[in-house]
Amino acid sequence: MKLLLRSQLFFLLSLLISFSHLQECIGFVNSETTGAEIMEEVDKRHQQFPYIYEEQSMVLVDRHGDRDTRKARRYSRVEEDGTVRFLLLFDYPQEVKGVALLANREPDGRTNKYIYLPAYGEQLLESAGEGSGDNFLGTDFSVENLTGEILSDHHYVRRDDSEIEKVKHFVLDVYKAKNTSTEDRILRRHFIQQDNLYITLTHHFDKHGRIARKQSHHDLKEVDHDMLRANMTLMKNMKDQHQSLIKTSRRIFSHDYVPLEIFTAEWLYKNYPHIEPAEDMDTDNSLDVKGTTE
Amino acid sequence: MLGYKRPAVVGLFLLLVTIFTATGLQRLQIDTGIDSLIPADDPSRMVYQKVMREFGTDNKTIIYIKDPNLWTPEKLARIEELHFAIEKIDGVSRVDSLFTLHTLQGKGGKIISRPLLIASPKTEEEALDAKKSALANPLYQGNFFSNNGEVTAMMVSVIDAEDSNNFSRTIHLALEEQVEIHRADFERIAQVGPPRINAELKNSLYEDFILLGPLSVVVLVVSILIFMRSWLSAVVPLVTSLITIIWTFGALGWIGVPLNILSAMIPSLIIVIGSTEDTHMMSAFLRGLKENPGENSRKEAVKYMAKNIGLPMALTVLTTTLGFASNLFSDIGLIQQFSIAATFAMLANGFITILVMPLMLSIFGADGSTSLGKDMGKNSLPDRIMSIFRYFQVRFPISILVFTAILCACFIFQASKLYVTNDPLSYFPSDRPLIKDAKRIHEDLAGIKIFFISLESKQGKAFQEPKNIQKLVDIQSFLTHQGVYDRSISLADHLRFLNHEFRGGSPKNFLPETRQLVAQYLMFLHRGDLDNYVSHDYRRANIVVRHNITDSHTLNQYIEELQEVIVKIAGSDMKFFIVGENLMVNKAAESLMTAQIKALVLLMALIFLIMSIMFTSFKGGLIALVPAIIPIALMFGIMGYLKIPLNPGTAMVAVIAIGIAIDGTIHLLARYNELCRRTSDYEDAVNTAVNDEATPLIVSSIALALGFGVLIFSNFTIVAQFGALAATTMLFSIFANLLVTPIIMTRIRLVGLYQILSMSIDSEVLDGSPLLQNMSNYQRRKAILISELHEFEKGELLVEQDTIGRNMHLILSGEAEVIRRDGSESRSLAILKPGQIFGEVGYIRETERTADVVATKRVSALRFDYERMQKDLKFFPNIVAKLNFNISYILGERLADMVGKSKNK
Repeated sequence: MKLLLRSQLFFLLSLLISFSHLQECIGFVNSETTGAEIMEEVDKRHQQFPYIYEEQSMVLVDRHGDRDTRKARRYSRVEEDGTVRFLLLFDYPQEVKGVALLANREPDGRTNKYIYLPAYGEQLLESAGEGSGDNFLGTDFSVENLTGEILSDHHYVRRDDSEIEKVKHFVLDVYKAKNTSTEDRILRRHFIQQDNLYITLTHHFDKHGRIARKQSHHDLKEVDHDMLRANMTLMKNMKDQHQSLIKTSRRIFSHDYVPLEIFTAEWLYKNYPHIEPAEDMDTDNSLDVKGTTE
Repeated sequence: MLGYKRPAVVGLFLLLVTIFTATGLQRLQIDTGIDSLIPADDPSRMVYQKVMREFGTDNKTIIYIKDPNLWTPEKLARIEELHFAIEKIDGVSRVDSLFTLHTLQGKGGKIISRPLLIASPKTEEEALDAKKSALANPLYQGNFFSNNGEVTAMMVSVIDAEDSNNFSRTIHLALEEQVEIHRADFERIAQVGPPRINAELKNSLYEDFILLGPLSVVVLVVSILIFMRSWLSAVVPLVTSLITIIWTFGALGWIGVPLNILSAMIPSLIIVIGSTEDTHMMSAFLRGLKENPGENSRKEAVKYMAKNIGLPMALTVLTTTLGFASNLFSDIGLIQQFSIAATFAMLANGFITILVMPLMLSIFGADGSTSLGKDMGKNSLPDRIMSIFRYFQVRFPISILVFTAILCACFIFQASKLYVTNDPLSYFPSDRPLIKDAKRIHEDLAGIKIFFISLESKQGKAFQEPKNIQKLVDIQSFLTHQGVYDRSISLADHLRFLNHEFRGGSPKNFLPETRQLVAQYLMFLHRGDLDNYVSHDYRRANIVVRHNITDSHTLNQYIEELQEVIVKIAGSDMKFFIVGENLMVNKAAESLMTAQIKALVLLMALIFLIMSIMFTSFKGGLIALVPAIIPIALMFGIMGYLKIPLNPGTAMVAVIAIGIAIDGTIHLLARYNELCRRTSDYEDAVNTAVNDEATPLIVSSIALALGFGVLIFSNFTIVAQFGALAATTMLFSIFANLLVTPIIMTRIRLVGLYQILSMSIDSEVLDGSPLLQNMSNYQRRKAILISELHEFEKGELLVEQDTIGRNMHLILSGEAEVIRRDGSESRSLAILKPGQIFGEVGYIRETERTADVVATKRVSALRFDYERMQKDLKFFPNIVAKLNFNISYILGERLADMVGKSKNK
């Protein structure tokens, strides 16, 4: 009887805590709360962690359902002056090992992207792209999709809340900020889960206001007080019927794992030197279909 | 005769069957798809479908847009509107245009990867910048942009729909609506692709049905009125044709055989070919009227018609049907479906004609104004033709044969230049907008026809290996060397382009050197960019080839050559396939050629056999083929000379024309055979037969030629070519049947099997006759048929004493008396009964008759003429030898009797 009372008490307490947590989450939100205010809260709660190291698998699914798997390490670091550094380094398959995407987002919002191809030579190639077609390295993601958007560059308009699978969501439409662009077309629509203020779904629109891609986050893990990270991110390309899935198998928030030196060309050249044509003869040729797909 | 004796029953039967079959008309389906051009059991179908699944369809519609100011914000905005309007069409799965293309540019260590245009540019500079990027990308040149940038293409892919025929039409109309909206925006805009081809095929088919049938009716009625001057002769074929058309199309609806583009000519064929039998029947009926004047003349004439024309008509229906039926087993659905329809139509028409003709004659009888043959006057066209022919036949018979042989040899030489095509676009005339649009796309971009060269390795990621990618380059180099294709594109082109851009614009045309570099470059391409060129596991690669070759034989030869080279390039560790819908269609053209040769040989063998049996002579079989072979040789020669290709339409002319042309020969031979029973002058028999048959033969051949000529107005080139060639062949058949065949006929003597079988003679008479002893019943009948049959009234003199005559007689019925006259005295020597012979001495030796032979009752006797028997010895050696032997035996018996009598004395 005592045991029963204790468990009931524990359950009630949990409910109370959850409710108070929910209250806390949406407490600041009322019908007058703007989209920008919601996004600021989202950013404050989930986007602020300066040193992140992640081990990821990328699964690319084509229109036939055939899959290609890549493995990569992702390093991100936010400097005190607001500069964001980002490095995505491929480990698998063997022939793309060492391929790196290096991105720096300056405090003023400018982003520089560089690509390193060990087989090409010890040279960082500046990667310039624009628009929704700027998918990086054959995936359906753009760099911006992974680094997060800069709030000041955008204008958020709150729409009516909606329910997705019986879970309440705030709905925000994202536009370019008036000061950055004269274009007033909708870029994205974020669906923000009300109980944790995490963006679980984003619709990316094309120039004609049609949904071009759907980005969804799954397997949310609490990594710090209230701070969530998704272990799986899926991007569906509606037009080409492709999908790209990023699955994070390991995540560490530590300065030690994200030293500044790895964001340099020298570090890349040293650790992943140029592959001379002659070396090609010695490389592993035995990878077959099963070994490279899942 | 059933139609004459029981008109009500026959009429009711025809009405009921017509009502029943008419209910099948609403079930009729129309199939104008490309599938029916490909053999159903083509093994490359499976490979093709597999490659299509993996690398995407080759079935795309191209929206061709041309404008000198294409790269301006205004024009690009219109293209963008069009692009997104087409994307919204139900059933469109993908639209590729300059608004979906990506480009990659290397510049001073910078790689710029971006869409060519996300949206229409706002400024002229942006537009020109897009133009520069577009034209700098070799992957898009010829595919999406012309070299001068004035032309761009939009590629529209559609989903696979179950009801592909209707779906295709819906898509075509939806695309056409959008094209029409933007027509004023550009110098030229057009869509070309399977939906338009399919829709135009269907529309043209409807138009053909509306035009050709009525036109054939007009031509038939006019030609019959001109040549036969009889309304009844014109009305009867129309009635039989109308019933046949209902039966045929109704039956097709019931059995589920669809109509295709060749079906458009079926009503015309029924009207025209069907009318020939009516003409021959009417001709026989009128002859019967002449021979049987009196109260019951109509009935007797119908009887005469049935007796004289029945079997030849059954034969002609059989041979015509065989001509169409020889294509029943064609691998090509288009031909097979047409063959089923036409075979049924010919059989049904024969059957209906046999029932309807006597029925109508019983009601309407002969038209008093009807006149035929000689009644048409000396200046009639048939007479004029015949007078020319006779002039040459009499003066230069051998020269005509030699001339014909040389002419045939020359035309057969021309026929060696024949080529085959099965290209659906070649079904349309070259001045049709669709064909002009396809030509423009070919000239400004690349041909709309696509095939794939797919290479497959056992090794994973084989096509990340430079040595394997080099194989693609080598194959493409050979394609360029062949010089007949417009464009080829593969993974190698993408890699060379990437290498070129990454290396700062130079060097060109170099492949990445390592497998790693290949893999790393490929990360810059989206999977969708490579869908058409390499499998996800890099085990299979695909070269997309665009061309505009319409000559199937040439294309097949180039493909064969290509195959030989690819075998060497691919090596033993790699499989390869060359596939494409247009390749399968073109490959079917080769089978078209072999199938037609087979059908032709088979049909000729069948006709030879049938005619040999019918006329109990292989020579008869061979002669029947002469008027068939000559027009066909001439027709193939004309095709070679005028560069008319062998296609599903023209390929059928030969067998169909043989089946029809042989009809005239059958009638001619049957008439000649009939006349030979009454005379020993075969040349006269030939002349009479030709005179009798010339008018119906010329009339029906000209009517056929005009009827086939109507098909020239078809929307389809293959139908028009079929019509023109068949018409020419019909005219050639007049020359063959009436000029050449009679010359050969004088050198033969035929006996019809049907005459042998239908002969009614008392078998006791035959058994008891010493002339026919030791002969089988068949041999006896044949012996009778090669003799002359004579009838004598009571008191008539069969043989006159003291005259010289080299013939003997066999009495079949009646009775005759042998009377010896000595001065004023006469004495009876013998009474001759059926089975007995007389005059055998005069037959053997030219000597005076020693007595009169007078009929004491009506006598029916066979006359065996010495001269004729000598001629017939070479035609029927066995029979004549037996007869000669029996005559020797009879004479021997006589001699023995006389010797015995003299001994007794």
